Formats: sequence, structure tokens, C-alpha cells
Amino acid sequence: MHIVVHKAKCQGHARCWAQAPDIFKLDDEGYILPGDIQVEEGEQLPASQGARSCPERALEVDSTSAARFEPADTQPRAGEA
Amino acid sequence: MTLNQVPDHVPPEMVGDFSLFTSPGMLPTPDGDPQAATACVHAGPPIFYSPFNTRDGRGTWVITRATDQRRVLQDADTFSSHRSIFASALGENWPMIPLELDPPAHGVFRSLLNPLLSPKRVMALEPAVRERAIALIDSIAASGTSCDVMKDFAFPFAVSIFLRLLGLPDHRLHTFVGWAKDLLHGDDVKRPAAARTILAFIDELAAMRREEPVDDFMTFIVQAQVEGRRLTDEEVRGIGVLVFVAGLDTVAAAIGFDLAFLARHPEEQELLRSEPNRIVLAAEELLRAYPTVQIIRVARKDIDFEGAPIRKGDYVSCATMIANRDPTEFECPDTIDLMREDNRHAAFGYGPHRCLGSHLARRDIVIGLEEWLARLPAFRIKEGTAPITCGGHVFGIENLIVDWS
Repeated sequence: MHIVVHKAKCQGHARCWAQAPDIFKLDDEGYILPGDIQVEEGEQLPASQGARSCPERALEVDSTSAARFEPADTQPRAGEA
Repeated sequence: MTLNQVPDHVPPEMVGDFSLFTSPGMLPTPDGDPQAATACVHAGPPIFYSPFNTRDGRGTWVITRATDQRRVLQDADTFSSHRSIFASALGENWPMIPLELDPPAHGVFRSLLNPLLSPKRVMALEPAVRERAIALIDSIAASGTSCDVMKDFAFPFAVSIFLRLLGLPDHRLHTFVGWAKDLLHGDDVKRPAAARTILAFIDELAAMRREEPVDDFMTFIVQAQVEGRRLTDEEVRGIGVLVFVAGLDTVAAAIGFDLAFLARHPEEQELLRSEPNRIVLAAEELLRAYPTVQIIRVARKDIDFEGAPIRKGDYVSCATMIANRDPTEFECPDTIDLMREDNRHAAFGYGPHRCLGSHLARRDIVIGLEEWLARLPAFRIKEGTAPITCGGHVFGIENLIVDWS
């Protein structure tokens, strides 16, 4: 599973960080760092809780890769900004 | 009312009779619940026109669904926040910064100020906030078995955190509380007078810090650079006024509404007292249930929005308390469930103007509740008294007499 980060939509609510500070890292202004987040096995619950907590809908859970054993994800993704 | 004629472009069938200023429960009401009183709009359409929905009696479009409020507030290119709310009380026209700036100027100032109130910076402020809460509550506990939460705790607490942020001593606390009350809830004489007093104070403080820098907020502002230059006097003033206006009343009101809820719900109160680790989550639900701000934007161009012909210059209201009771966004929105998960409430707004002080406000509320519950026994509304609540631009609670005898 990974989290698609729509950086332009982040407004610094930091709710994801409050749920899982090790998964959702913030810059000095308190906004999420750019780049999608690959979620480690065993961190999927806090990661999806964090993604769901975003008031701006800036985080999108992409679980299409969860069923695969290959970590590389070559599938095109919808909704990339 | 002839004063509030509906503009010609608003179809008569889109005019609604709900107003955050005049509807039932919005005027000062003993034992009122103004946030709950707004929920009735969800029986109606997603957008309607309210002919009297600002303090000065202007009409606004009202956006009821959370998802539509998100769309409006995320789109600052179409919906501007430059209304000169503070300056217009003085017959002037300058923006509170960054709130009343639109992109791209907004981003420049926002980036300057964000680090001062970031989640990490707030963590560093916490010990001082907690110390202040403890001092106030211990003094309340020592002086009897009853108090007025607003006068004895919520306002002094919020104001003292603000003073600390500005690097000012606490002895001016009562003066500040008076200014804030007059500014936000005073009549047409008191409001401009308070506005002038606050401006003079901010100008004076800025001048002092320019002359003799210390390690505080105002020193940072007067020394800061944007786009390779120092800030102008008007910009310094715009920032100072916003911090003053935004930080005082809102936090105090939130704490008041929250403690009023707990005073009336002894089981929930006891749950949080015996399991204080639940307070962080509960505070989010209380923010959902009792937000205080009506956000207003001005259309910068004509746009048809969910069938409504919004025209350039129209006011568009995104009331946080309305979004927070949206049944398409929250399951059982009228039930206050302190264990609610996935609570993406709108208390701090959406979009680029998301409340700059939200991280501090959250911690103020949580710390206030933690220390209150830890230091005082079961409390209730004092018999024979009734908290007076009101709606408006910023929802408020005037008094909250509680008793633990």
C-alpha cells in the first residue's frame, strides 16, 4: 500500500502527523513533505487512519499494490496532481 | 426589511429565512445551543441566499454542505477573503495579514508566519501554557466551590497565552480582556473605540521592539523580511491585529462551550476525568460540535455554483458550525460522541487560510480541559444560573457559572 500525496492541497492541518508522525513527515512550516509515501508492512492501519484524517482530502490511499508481492509499482495512478 | 433588499440576480426561490444573526437561538439566549440551532439548514438546499447575515446587515449566500465549503475555501482565486473587517470598523481599508490577503501575496506572509505556530513550535510553548492553566485553576479551587468559567478561567487563560506569545507581562491581562470584549461584542460606539485602542497599542509595541529587540513575536515581525525588504508599518499592524482578534475570543469561547457541555453531561465528564488520555480525541469532537467562526468570502467573478448565480461582489458564507452538522459528511451529526473517529471537522476552516493558530488552539483546549478535570471535582451548572450563548460572526458564551459544592 502507498499514500498518494497531493502536496498542493496540503494546508498544514497536520492531522496525519498527529495520527502517525513517523509516516507523515512535515516541513518547518508544518506542511507535508512532497512525494508519495510507501507504507511498510505493519504500518498500514496508522497510515490509512492518517490519510483519512485530512480535512482537505490531500492524501489518497492506494492499496492496489497491497495484493502484489512485488514492491515496484508500475501501474499508472489516477488522480495525480 | 427594506434595508436588506435581495439583489435582482438572486432568484426569489433561492432566498432562505435562516440567518446566523437573527434566527432563533442566535441572539443572546439563556441555555442556548446556537451551533445545534444551525443544523436546521440541512433540511434545505445546499446553497441559499440569506438577506441579513453579517453584523452590518448584508446578505450572503450560505453554503451548507462540507464538501461545497471545501470547494469555496480551497479556491481563493474565485472567492477572496479581503474584506478589511477590522479596518472597516474605522472607516479604513487595509488587510489583516495573512487572512485578508489573497494569493500570491498571501503565501509570502503565510510562509513567514507558519513556522511561528507550527505543530513543533507549539510543542515548545506547551509547558508555559500548562503552567498558566494550573495557576488559574488552582486559584479557582482555593477560593471556593463555584466560579464563572468565562471570567475566571477561559478569558484569562486565552489572553495570557496571547500575552506570553507577544512577550508581555500578565499584569495587563484585564485591560486586554476588556479590549477584546468591546471589539468583538461591543456596540457601535465601543467597537471602533476598542479598535483604535488596540491599533495604538500594536503600533507602540512595534516601535518599542524596533528600538529594543527581544526574543518575541513582535520583534520577529519588525525584523522580518519578505521579498528582500522589511515589512511596512501597515503590514506589521495587519499581522498584529489579526493575532489579537483571532486568538483571544475563539479559544475562550471553545473552552466555555466545552466545559458547558461537560457540566451538563456528568457521565462524559467523569469518563474524561478518569481516563484523561481520551481528552485529545474528545476535544476534536467538541471542536466539531462547538466551532465558533462563520467564514465569509467575496466572489471575485461571476460563477454559477450548484445552480446558484453568484455574482462578482456577492458575499459567500461558509459557517463552520453548519459544515460540522452536515449529515452527508458526518454520521449522526447531531449526536456528540466523544469517541468519534475519522473526525474531519471544519472548525479551523479549509484551504490556504486554514487557521494559522489551529495547532496552538488545539493544545490550549486540550491542556485547559486536562488541568480543569484533574484539579476540580465533578461540576455542574450552578442552580438558578443559565449560560447565555449567542450566534453571529463569532459564536460566543458570555457566562458559565459552575458549582462543585
